[in-house]
Amino acid sequence: MFAMRDSWRTMSTATAPDSAPPRFVRADGPDKVTGTGRYTADLTLTGMLAAKFRYAGIAHARIARLDTTAARAIPGVFAVLTQADVPDVRYGGMVFDRTLFANEVVRFEGEVVAAVAAIDAATAQRAVDAIVVEYEPLPVVNDPEAALAPDTPLVHPQWQSYGASRQLVRDGNDASYASIAKGDVDAGLAAADVVVTSRYHADGSHAAPIEPRSVVAQWEGDKVTIWSSTQVPYDARAGVCDTLELPSNRVRIIVPHLGGGFGGKCGFHFEAHVAALARAARRPVRLQFTRREEFLAPDRRRESIAFEFETGVQRDGTITARRARLVIDNGAYTADAGFFSQLAAMHALGPYRIPNALAEAHLVYTNHQPSGSVRAPTAPQCCWALESHTDEVARAVGIDPLEFRRRNAVDSGVEGPSGQTYGEIGLQQCLDAAAELAGYGQPLPDDEAIGVAIGWWPSFASPSGAYVRLDADGSGQIVTGAQECGTGAVMTLRQLAADELGMQADDFQLVYQDTAAAPYDMGATGSQTLFNNGRAVVAAAGQVAEQLKRLAAERLEADPADIVLAGGVAHVAGTPDKRVDIAKLAAIAGGGELLIGHGSGAPPDAPELHGSTCVGDVSMAAWVAPQFSCHAARVKVDRDTGVARVLHVSAAHDSGTIINPIAAEGQVQGAVVMGIGQALSEGTRYDEQAHQLNPGLLEYKLQTAADAPPIAIHFVQIATPDAGPRGAKGLAEAPNVATAAAIANAIANVIGTPVRQLPMTAERVWEASLGGAAAAPTAPRTAGASA
Amino acid sequence: MSESIVLNVNGVPYPVAIDQSRNLLSVIRTEIGLTGTKEGCDDCECGACMVLLDGRPVNSCSYLAVQAQGRTITTIEGVLEGDTMHPLQRNLLDEGGVQCGYCTPGMVMSATALLAANPSPSEEEIRIGLSGNLCRCTGYTKIVQAVQRTAAELAEPAAPAEG
Amino acid sequence: MSFTIALTVEEALTALARGARPIAGGSDLVVGARHGKAPLPDHLVAIDRIDSLRTVTVDDGGLAIGAGVSHDTIERHPQIAANWSALADGSALVGSPATRHVGTIGGNICNASPAMDTGAALVVLAATVELASVGGTRLVPIGELWTGPGRTAVRADELCTAVHLPSPPAASGSAYLRLEYRRAMEIAVVGAGAAVTLAPGGTVAAVRVALSAVAPTIVEVDGLPTGDLAAVGEAAAALASEQARPISDVRASDRYRRHAVGVIARRAVLAAARRAGGESIAVPVNRALGIGAAS
Repeated sequence: MFAMRDSWRTMSTATAPDSAPPRFVRADGPDKVTGTGRYTADLTLTGMLAAKFRYAGIAHARIARLDTTAARAIPGVFAVLTQADVPDVRYGGMVFDRTLFANEVVRFEGEVVAAVAAIDAATAQRAVDAIVVEYEPLPVVNDPEAALAPDTPLVHPQWQSYGASRQLVRDGNDASYASIAKGDVDAGLAAADVVVTSRYHADGSHAAPIEPRSVVAQWEGDKVTIWSSTQVPYDARAGVCDTLELPSNRVRIIVPHLGGGFGGKCGFHFEAHVAALARAARRPVRLQFTRREEFLAPDRRRESIAFEFETGVQRDGTITARRARLVIDNGAYTADAGFFSQLAAMHALGPYRIPNALAEAHLVYTNHQPSGSVRAPTAPQCCWALESHTDEVARAVGIDPLEFRRRNAVDSGVEGPSGQTYGEIGLQQCLDAAAELAGYGQPLPDDEAIGVAIGWWPSFASPSGAYVRLDADGSGQIVTGAQECGTGAVMTLRQLAADELGMQADDFQLVYQDTAAAPYDMGATGSQTLFNNGRAVVAAAGQVAEQLKRLAAERLEADPADIVLAGGVAHVAGTPDKRVDIAKLAAIAGGGELLIGHGSGAPPDAPELHGSTCVGDVSMAAWVAPQFSCHAARVKVDRDTGVARVLHVSAAHDSGTIINPIAAEGQVQGAVVMGIGQALSEGTRYDEQAHQLNPGLLEYKLQTAADAPPIAIHFVQIATPDAGPRGAKGLAEAPNVATAAAIANAIANVIGTPVRQLPMTAERVWEASLGGAAAAPTAPRTAGASA
Repeated sequence: MSESIVLNVNGVPYPVAIDQSRNLLSVIRTEIGLTGTKEGCDDCECGACMVLLDGRPVNSCSYLAVQAQGRTITTIEGVLEGDTMHPLQRNLLDEGGVQCGYCTPGMVMSATALLAANPSPSEEEIRIGLSGNLCRCTGYTKIVQAVQRTAAELAEPAAPAEG
Repeated sequence: MSFTIALTVEEALTALARGARPIAGGSDLVVGARHGKAPLPDHLVAIDRIDSLRTVTVDDGGLAIGAGVSHDTIERHPQIAANWSALADGSALVGSPATRHVGTIGGNICNASPAMDTGAALVVLAATVELASVGGTRLVPIGELWTGPGRTAVRADELCTAVHLPSPPAASGSAYLRLEYRRAMEIAVVGAGAAVTLAPGGTVAAVRVALSAVAPTIVEVDGLPTGDLAAVGEAAAALASEQARPISDVRASDRYRRHAVGVIARRAVLAAARRAGGESIAVPVNRALGIGAAS
């Protein structure tokens, strides 16, 4: 039986506070709830022009003619730019395969061919329409699996000439091949009692933040300030510097309030286009995306993946071997997806004890919108496919899926599929907790079932910096490079500083999201803010704490090492009466050596792998402080129509110590509902010419308040080695991993067969239940609803 | 061709000269200068642009500004009572119903309209009442809780009204 | 370009005669213009302040709904919910709460989307549409109003002023259901309205079924039998699937629509029959019964 001892309410670890952490109101909340908070689209600068882009509108073609004469002649047009007007620089995450504007060839429909700055949006649009572009169509590469065939046209015929990270293994349309191999898979499969083979396909999907992106740029002399709705201001700055050939100290990125990102606003997008327009027009310029542009143009959508699995298992439920082959849709350019192959390979093996494993993944160029980091990239799709397959394996040997996972999932001290032996982890506790919260095993109506899935996600160690200062009136200021995209992670930094200094979170204000003001941070990506910037803030606050202790020690005639900072007071340990207010110390310091701390702290090293071989290794097989989860979904299926409705989700997470419970619950609730959308209603459809068929919120359906089910949450809190401050790991992406998978297994339990395509739309569920088009090409021998 | 009209926003009459094709959202955000009302989709699908027209929720992105003349327009900026937050705003903060905040103004407008029309809504009625406001961050749970708590608080001082 | 606000039907008709187009809530017009479907008309006459278009009248002759009555009003009108339930079901499913406040019955039927949620209900409830112009007024049976997707028999100088529905027979009930992928902010994947009159003993004395989103317009199912309820339901399913002419699009394939409309038609008949039998099923049936429960 699962015990509540692990819950945050009663947890205790070496570094965690004894009592429940405070539930505090986020510092940016009042701005947001009153409408006074400013987002990028809310900014207006005197003389500001409107930017509009001319998009390719065709998925693959050579530009035969590009003539901007008529556009430039329109009154009110201040600048029209094409690739000829910007430095001839190729950029990219790990492969430098892209230019700011299309260069001779367009490779997806949303590629920017030209940009206009004009007196207003309507004039800019007229100018965009007046640009003459003639194309010679090229063959459209629309199917990633087919794109690997030797005779398929190359999306980038000059791929060999592109600069790229040395770790990447590239070949033609295969932009990144990775494999993780351990043991002898053929022998392992031969030793199995049953081998289950499955195929799955996950469609691409979108981050779909509610704020469409916006960029404002203004030059003063040779320096440019860019306000951008980016999750990663330093990455955006690097992109501007690379493509416009500017030193980083002449480019300042400021992020006003950010209206959500979910990965979709990671990376460098259109900051350089707008900066180039502003420079050419000698005026500030704003780019404001429509929802349609938000769907079509960014190089950050969730990649489609085709899966083949083969798992060998003994009658007692022991996995002997697993082989997985994945084909990932890279889209037209590699964006930041170079590491997806190895990351997906890890997720395709999953958090299981597998003695013999081989996972291979190809990241394949197509003429689709580029893929990029969307909330736990590759993980929800891989988890959905693998966990559907896992239920097939469990059924094949007649073992309850929950019990099958208990037997095969990794645990503390156990070696995982990539040869990493995990320290203290809480996956088994997550399984117990989710099953308990879901009432697993309870009798249910005939059209309902519970599905279970487990997931994992790494913590990303990265350099990060912050300053902390106390001003003369005793109020605190945190200056950090960290980016708040809504999760509350930056807001939580106040609590860390406050704890370090014996003060209250409300005593601190934050300066953040300004590359000119603060030291580097990777940004709101990889769930890393608390993990890395938390470390930096603790280190910076620690320096101020040392200063305060020295000041207090002088006044209290004690050793600095004996001074305790608590409750807004510095006192001598063991002698609470020997005390001085921290505010008083701050006033003293205000007349002398100011209270200023800076911090970064060394990120933890990657763990070692034993007994495995990684080709295309980009350090995604050895995970620092991995996060684990188990979700259980209760789903009702209308068998006649295939419509599935999620009635309840249980989510148990080992994300280490929970420092901000409100924010943590919010991450899980939001990610679960996003996961329901991915499971049932969110999927990009392409026509035969690689045009998106549903680039809008009516046909790309996010879940509404009326759809969202009750969600029960449990946090398993244990002392993970190499975790972040107070033992915290990340939590923004982890809860997005296992929801769709749990729903899939529930649906399969009702209709008796898995649905092999994601999203599991009503039509696909119905077809699967008929044994029709969506059913298994290589179905396992055993199937049927579990008890 | 500009129309000179007066729009009454949050109790203030604003004379504006606008083309008849302009939607109410863009006029509120630019001519009138209140940017709390957001644009998220431009076709009635997200609810970020929600304002109240004579007390009832309207997607201002898809409503002509000229049609709003003579009517009472309330935006998120008009929800504050002086410097005091509406209980719903306070409860959204206390419950954690605000993350990125971009949907929040529209959500507040829909929720206040809902509570005005139905002071003691069931959870289902709240969820249907907010179903035109997409939120990508919260999963809606804490927003619904904030509305429930607000309904309970508003009901407390007075005698229980009929549902 | 011009924009005028009409306060009476006569003012509106005069403007229409001079070439203006009517605008009520405007959602379809404004969104349509933004998406390049049709440019915003140069000359607009606002009809949303004409009081006489915003009345609901129930008398011995039946129900008269002004064309400017909102979906929200219809959804909440107790007599409509009780006696013309299918229409209340349909209005309650339109868009979001805001859309239902702004959107009107007249706008919905004149927009003539084959996926509209009020259309199938109006067909099975034998609605007649009142069209007025400066030259006079005519009544058009609802089934003759729609001539194609987005096309109607309404002349450019005509204004839809009201929708008339006869009083339902005794022991009758109606329902509208749709297949939806989410519970709100949705457009029917397929939909079906049904009106059922029961004979003593619970058999079906009369039945009408109409379908949405399976043809260029709302279509009525022909050749329905009477008699045993279960058999009528099965026949409705079979005939609906047979008579549907669905397309494949991003929402569903024609194959799936053809199947699903049968399921939904059967459920609409069964729900209407339960109401005919005196059972109170809250508006809208979609939410009252949930998925699967009506089969």
